[in-house]
Amino acid sequence: MTGRRLHPFTLLAIAGALPALAWILPAPAGGACTAAVALVLTASRGLRRGLWPAVLTAAPFWVFLRLLHDVPTTIAIGLRITTMVASFVWLAATLAPDRLVEATVARGWSVTAAYLFAATITAVPMLRGRARRIVEAQRCRGLSPRGSLGNRLRALRALALPLVLSALHDVDERALALETRGMVSGARRTPLAPPPDSAVERAARWALLVACVAALIWRLK
Amino acid sequence: MSIRVLALIPVAAAISLALSAAVDAVALPLFLDTTGTILATALAGPGVGIATGVVTSAVNTLRNPTFWPFVVVQIIVALYAWAAARAGLFRSFRTAVPAGLGLGVIASVTSTPISYLVFGCTTTGGIALTTALGKALGLPPLGACFFGSFVSDFGDKAVTFALVTSVLHALPRRTAARFPWALRAIGAA
Repeated sequence: MTGRRLHPFTLLAIAGALPALAWILPAPAGGACTAAVALVLTASRGLRRGLWPAVLTAAPFWVFLRLLHDVPTTIAIGLRITTMVASFVWLAATLAPDRLVEATVARGWSVTAAYLFAATITAVPMLRGRARRIVEAQRCRGLSPRGSLGNRLRALRALALPLVLSALHDVDERALALETRGMVSGARRTPLAPPPDSAVERAARWALLVACVAALIWRLK
Repeated sequence: MSIRVLALIPVAAAISLALSAAVDAVALPLFLDTTGTILATALAGPGVGIATGVVTSAVNTLRNPTFWPFVVVQIIVALYAWAAARAGLFRSFRTAVPAGLGLGVIASVTSTPISYLVFGCTTTGGIALTTALGKALGLPPLGACFFGSFVSDFGDKAVTFALVTSVLHALPRRTAARFPWALRAIGAA
């Protein structure tokens, strides 16, 4: 199961429930189970896109945990962090932002939250590319980003300021684009390709919520 | 919420996440991951700042899931930046840098219990190493955790406030006037 066919809300529910259960259930058995499930899910997305990024992100935490804690604490917290990392790596590899937008529109929720999320995801690589071009351009003009702390801070200002100002100038352009697409608050939109949401998936989402609440009540007893 | 303000939020959040490229180029131990939150607050008020902070954390979580529990810090940063903007503390470096240092203390006090309870004080490499240093210096676990957060946040927030002040003053007045809070933040209204 790669998760690609699942409804975006189901993906979010799974990625939210696994870390929640990892923290609620008693360690280390609870964390071991949730970490195993999360790692299987990430492995289903392939080695390069799933398992390796999860393992590489989680591994430094184990090293630092061992540096700061004894072995039982390291295992208990490490399994929880591994669950969290693997769940979100799987979510990032599986969830398509446009499907999430369609799902929220189909549900009749405000499209604003989905827009903010999707627009940020698409804006980050664009701005990172622009930041790299600014770094190269300033270097060509003789900017030295090395030397004393004062030098580096001045260099940082010379790099960050054009990036932030140019990004703020984009705001007007984006506002115009949103206006022409009828993105005003309260406007009802029609989803073009709403992701199918079966009764089984809806039941599964409720089951995950009930499982988390039941586990919490059991632990608090 | 006006369309312009709505368009500002993803741009400000992306600024927070893209500035790492500039930080990498100068090899300074800074994050600047609250720049967009502070800037959005100074331009358009606390609601927009909080929304920017939450979106920044949500998108950052897809890159590194351990960022999500620290969304609380982004909200505190937005509220603090709002108070600073109301007081016109972005009017010069002389007022902005001390305000940033104050935020550094508040941010480390806020992030310490999250880091301690959720991650056992192991968040990112640099902070974990300074926490280990605090432990080696004989500090108790929570004290070492605060030491790690404080070392990373104190300077970072001062530089972030200084950078936002530079941006606000570099913005053409006509552009700044399009945002409801910008001129008040720099003491021009």
